[in-house]
Formats: sequence, C-alpha cells, structure tokens
Amino acid sequence: MDTLKRTLLPTLLLACASVAAAQQYDLLLQGGHVIDAKNNIDAVRDVAIRDGKIAVVAQHIDASQAFKVVNVSGLYVTPGLIDIHVHVYAGTGEPRSYAGDNSLYPDGYTFRVGVTTVADAGCAGWRNFEDFKQRVIDRAKTRVLAFINIVGNGMRGAKFENDLNDMQAKPTAEIALKYKDTIIGVKTAHYAGPEWTPVEQAVEAGTIAGIPVMVDFGSNRKERPMSELVTKKLRPGDIYTHCYSGLRDELVDGKVNPAMFEARKRGVIFDVGHGGGSFAWRVAVPAMKQGFPPDSISTDIHTGSMNAGMKDMDNVMDKFLAMGQSFKDVVAESTWHPAREIKREDLGNLSVGSVADVAVLRLEKGDFGFTDMYGARLKGSQKIIAELTLRDGKVVYDLNGLTRPDWTTLPKDYKQTGDSRWDAVTPVPVRRQP
Amino acid sequence: MPPLWIPVRFSIALLALTWSLNAQPRYDLMLKGGHVIDPKNGIDRVMDVAVTGGKIASVAAVIDPAQAKQTVNAAGLYVTPGLIDIHVHIYLWKEPGGEAVQADAHSFRSGVTTMVDAGSSGWRTFPDFRRRIIEHSKTRILAFLNIVGAGMGTGKEDEPAEMDAEAAAKMAKENRDIIVGFKSAHYGGPGWESVGGAVKAGEATGLPVMVDFGRVNATRNINALFMDKLRPGDIYTHCFSGHREELLESGKLNPAMEAGRKRGIVFDIGHGAGSFYWYVAVSAYAAGFYPDSISTDLHINSMNAGMKDMANVMSKLLNLGSPLAEVIRMSTWNPAKEIKRPALGSLDVGADADIAVLRLDRGDFGFVDSAGARKSGDRQIVCEMTLRAGKVVWDLNGRASQDWKSFPYQKQTWTH
Repeated sequence: MDTLKRTLLPTLLLACASVAAAQQYDLLLQGGHVIDAKNNIDAVRDVAIRDGKIAVVAQHIDASQAFKVVNVSGLYVTPGLIDIHVHVYAGTGEPRSYAGDNSLYPDGYTFRVGVTTVADAGCAGWRNFEDFKQRVIDRAKTRVLAFINIVGNGMRGAKFENDLNDMQAKPTAEIALKYKDTIIGVKTAHYAGPEWTPVEQAVEAGTIAGIPVMVDFGSNRKERPMSELVTKKLRPGDIYTHCYSGLRDELVDGKVNPAMFEARKRGVIFDVGHGGGSFAWRVAVPAMKQGFPPDSISTDIHTGSMNAGMKDMDNVMDKFLAMGQSFKDVVAESTWHPAREIKREDLGNLSVGSVADVAVLRLEKGDFGFTDMYGARLKGSQKIIAELTLRDGKVVYDLNGLTRPDWTTLPKDYKQTGDSRWDAVTPVPVRRQP
Repeated sequence: MPPLWIPVRFSIALLALTWSLNAQPRYDLMLKGGHVIDPKNGIDRVMDVAVTGGKIASVAAVIDPAQAKQTVNAAGLYVTPGLIDIHVHIYLWKEPGGEAVQADAHSFRSGVTTMVDAGSSGWRTFPDFRRRIIEHSKTRILAFLNIVGAGMGTGKEDEPAEMDAEAAAKMAKENRDIIVGFKSAHYGGPGWESVGGAVKAGEATGLPVMVDFGRVNATRNINALFMDKLRPGDIYTHCFSGHREELLESGKLNPAMEAGRKRGIVFDIGHGAGSFYWYVAVSAYAAGFYPDSISTDLHINSMNAGMKDMANVMSKLLNLGSPLAEVIRMSTWNPAKEIKRPALGSLDVGADADIAVLRLDRGDFGFVDSAGARKSGDRQIVCEMTLRAGKVVWDLNGRASQDWKSFPYQKQTWTH
C-alpha cells in the first residue's frame, strides 16, 4: 500500500498540475448574482480570478477555462465587505483601553461575515502606532487599515483622550505619511471638553496628510454643537460616525437635525459606527423614513459591543434591510462607499484587475430580531449569511464547504485537499503530524 | 412517570397560589416552553426553567409567568446546560505570537459558558495566564496545566527537563479553583517522559490527564498508552484524527480504542485544524464507537477552517448519527464529569444558571473536515441565547428584548 501511495500520488499530482497549467483562471465563481456598485452591476454574472485579481466578470465564462469552479447560483457575489470602524489594537494587556483589552483581534470577526478589510478607528496615535502595526496589523490575515488618533497616545482612556497637549497635528500627519499604505485617516474621539482643539488638530493633520478625518464627537456640548461641526468645521469627505446614536442632537423633536442634510450636501460623510452605545431604533427608523440613509455601514466592534445588540458586520447590515433598504444599497454602503470614503478606490469593487477580495452572501428569509444599544428589538425578515469569503483570490472562509470535495469521492485515507491556487484554508499549518 | 408528576404539579399550583399572594415575582427570568435537555437529570422534554440570583431556581412542567420578572418564550427551541468546551487555546501571551484567541469572542455566541484551556500554559506561565486572561474573562475559564513548564508552542515541548511533575502538581494545588487536570501534548518521543510526567502530576493531585499524543512509534502507540500508561478517567483528545492509528490500514477501528474505553479511558474530539477527518469519524461511528466529549481545539488556525465553533462541531456529530440528546450530553454533563466539576453541566436547582438556548435548523448544510473534505448534513445547531450565571450574555434575535416601539427609552448622555 505504501509503495502504491509513493508512486501513484506524485503521478496523480503531476497529472493535475499539467491540466492546471492549461487553465487560465485559478478560480471561477459561477452563476452568482453580482452586486458591484462601482461598476453598476446587479445581475447574474460569472466571476473569474487569476493571480489574486479579478480577471473577468461576464455573463458566461467557460468552466473549462478555470482550475477550480464553484457553483454559487442562488447566492450573491459582492466585493469583500469593508468595515471602517473597528477596534483591533489588542494584546497589550492594558485594561479599560482600546489600545488593549477593549480591542479584538480582527481575524475571528472578519472572514466569517464576509469582511476582508477593516479600518481601526483610532486605537493608536502617533506614539504607539508602530507597536500596533507590529503587534496586530502585520500579523492579521484580514486587510487592516487604520485611522490614526489625533491623541498621540491613542484611545487609552479618558485621561489620555482629554489631554489637549497630546493632540498634535504635525507628528500625527508625519506618521500618516510614513505609513500611507495603512493609515487612511485621522480620528478624533471621546473628547469631553468644550474646546474645538481635537477637531481642529485632526483636520489640520488630515489636510497635511491628504486624508479624511473621522469624528466620534464625545460629549454633547453647547459650546461645540454637532450642527457646527458638520456644517463648518469638517471638510467635505470627513466622516461623522455614530450618526444614529441620538446622543448629540442628531434627532431634534423627532426630525433629523437639518444640519445633517446641509452637511451631506457639502460632502460630509455619515457613518453608522453601531458599537455598544451608538445605534438607537428611535433615531435610525425616523432618519431612514425622512430620507437620511447612511453613507457607510460599520460596526464599531470591540469587546464591549461584540456580544450585545451589535454582533458583527452582517448583523448591522441586516438592520438596514429590516428598515427597508434594498440589499443592493446595503451592499454598496458596505463595499464601494467605504472604499471611496477612505480613498482606497482599489478596494470595494470587482473591476477587472482589482484585488479579488470577494464575499459570497446568502440572503436568508425568516423571522429575525435585531436589537439596538438600549436592548430594544426591531423585527426583520432577512438575514445575511456569509457563505464564502475570498481574500486576494483565495478562500479564507467557507461556511458550508461549497468549494470542498465530498469526502466519499476521495482516497480512503486522504490527508489533504485543495490547492494553493485558490485555497488559503487548507492546507493549514498543522502543528505536528506523524 | 405520570404519578410522579401529579404531586409535582400540585405543589407547583400550591406554590403559585402562595406566590400570587406575594407581590414580588420570585424569579428574575424564566425560559418558557423550551424543550429541556438536561442529561444529568434525565430530562428530555418541554419544561419551563426559572432563574434567580444567578442560580437555577426551578425546572418544572409549568411555571406561572407572574412569578418571573421577565419571561422569554423558548417554544420551539432547546434549553440545555451551558456548553462546556474542554479543549481550547485562550492563553494570549504578553508578547505577540502564539495561536490563542480571545475567549469571550468565541464562547457565548456558540452557547459555551465554560472553556477549558488545554495546556497552553505550564507551571511557569500559569500565574500570568490566570492574572491577565482568566480573571478578566466573562466566560468561565478552567485549565489543563501543560506538563511542560513553559507551556505550549514555546519550543520546549520536546524537552524532558521541562516536564517537572512536582512543580506542576504544586501549581495545581495552589489553583484548585481553576486547574482541572494536566496536559501532555505534541511530544516527539521516543519515550514516555511527557505522558509519564503528566500522569505523575495527576496522581499527586487526583486530577485527570489529557493527552495529545504527538508522534507515535513501534512502542509508543495508543495500545500501550491506553492499557499501560494512562489511568481510567484520563482523556485521549483528537480521538478521530487518524494520526495515531486510531484507524488501522484495513479501515477497521483499532481494537485499542474499545479496549481503552473498557478500561475507562475517555475519548474527546479536540477537532482543531488537523484532528478531525470524516473517514475516521464515519468508520468509528460504523463500529459503534462514539466520543465521550465534544470539544473544538479552538485556536487561530482552526477557527476559520473546518472547525469554526462549538455549535458547528456538535452539528457534525449530530449529522454523523448521534441523537441530539447525546450530542448535548457530550457537550455538557460528560465533560463536566471528565474534569470532575459535577457542579457544572446540568440544570440542577441551585446550580449556577449557565444555560444555552439552541435552535435546530433543517436544510442543506455542508461540514468540512481537517483535510477540507465535505460531508453534507440536514441539521445544524444554532445558538439563540446564552446565559452565564443567570444573565443573558448572548441573544441572537433579541428574544429577551422588548419591541422598540413600546420600549421605554430614557435618553442616554454620552459618558466616557
């Protein structure tokens, strides 16, 4: 038996390889409903991938042209989801800090819900960004980008985040320019005081580095009202997150604050940033009814929010479906819109030549419930399930084994399936195998 | 059975009457109308479960909702003890690296309320694990202490000099609230130093040993392990990996497995990234050999591969043919017994109210093994709610929540 294995297996592998060479695509997703907002596609299309990039999107691509063919009919094929508000600076051991215990490691929360890119929302500032990069960003399989906090120490708690002396545009801009492939924006957050300094410094840093600012506006202070922030202080392209929290007069007497409509006309961006305390039905439902949908959907996921009303990216997207948005719009708000907001137009689309970050989603029908920051529930009839996630053209998550061979078709003591042309799940680094 | 229930019903009615005279509801929370599976107590039927002060207060055919501050409708769902996963890796090191994950990020959403770390730390590193991770987790964390002082993945797992049974036993005695056993893992051999050290520590403390058997050879094989080296009650994890001749060349189950079981060796799944193969599991099931306990071997390389989470691994065994009640037994009461924690894994009145509320979905599902091979199945376990010490810590569909229109919003102000 052993001899047989030794001779037969290499021959088989060789045979496979020679067939493989004849096929120009590594992976073909066949028969899925493609939603690609950038390219205005909302139709059944085949998607072929080669060398980690989108090779073709067409009505029909011949299966014989592909090394691996996956039938995804009945499912949606979208760009990999982009969550621009997460907290992933984990591992420092600092308690009650987003540069520590409040943060999550990204990979456990991304691929399984179709997310391929996250942007950390200001956990690190210029003083600790390099530690963050080395500790988390460079080790993650997820594409991790970051808003750099205007506070040099980052999001380490009230003592640090209210220290005006540590909010300096220049060193912040410098580190943003040094790591411009990773740092896509500046964050100001959690400020309790009456001054505009944090916002002004963040905008200055953003102007120097040519990147947008994301604002979590902290305390609601009459000295610096949200209306003035979004209509005067922020630049077009800057991002107001937590837009349905209702904590800063987003809703006044049941009406969306007119400043928000005015700001939107100016080009200020409104992002969800659900989190543990920033999404209320009694704000979001009237806002949606009054014609104020979000520009982008994001989670604000951290250890405090992950098991509460906010569960993951799909769950936040589901909430907008439950409020009546179309699936197409919800996908756009989770792919192409956030990509544009962070000026990463190379992401969030399925253009030929783009990196093949792809989510294959199932839209499940049933009776579902969704809870807000207060624990109040709104019912919905649709739920997004990530069936398959590709990062750089390779499968990184496969819920139901769509890409996998049935075990009964394999040799009796098979050890590996898959191929590195399309598979990043297996072979896995098994620690020890005799 | 009915005669037994009449007095119970009667006493419930009597109690209900007493309570109705009392204005204060006596229960904090009630799960109403769920199908309770509590293997320890032999319950497998629709029952109400009431919780108060973080403990199970009552499990009865009917409990009056007037007696509970909050009632959650669990009709159509299964109510089980909180799941116990006795093979995870959650010791995140101080310095970057390693394969551990954050416990709370994976536990509650899968119905798990107790996780047992399988030897990530050894006696040298356990105090750090305890202080930085265990004491800060909402999940109940217990641990097998690695017989290797430096712990797992440190490059010391093949060094017999690192296997100090006395030091390990001492650490376990000082941390009896957390340490439930010893782990021998990844040993390349050729001898028995690792297993021997772990068993010696186990004997000194009266605790079980869990073995990941590493590399096998002519003499270091599972037959010798089960018959000569381990004690009854010791745990063989990765039991369906096939890496250590669990399945013979002929495709037959190694007789050592049945012989080991007869001797009292415990067989645990420990799915992981590389330790669960359909051809092994299906053959074992065909031979009538089922696991004693289900566990994930959760770590960064298994979480996004075929393993996924506890509910997924349980679903695999369900689709292999274990009845749901058995799958629950393998994930609650059996592991509780294996780690000698009989206060866990049941819905005993007075026990900590660690509860999982599970939904059994029907449909076309696929389950993937460590080689990436798929087996289709028609049932899938989904965790709807998790309670830890009586508090809702996971609620997938907001079943414990009120409709937003009638919800009494009190506007919050932002605080840091």
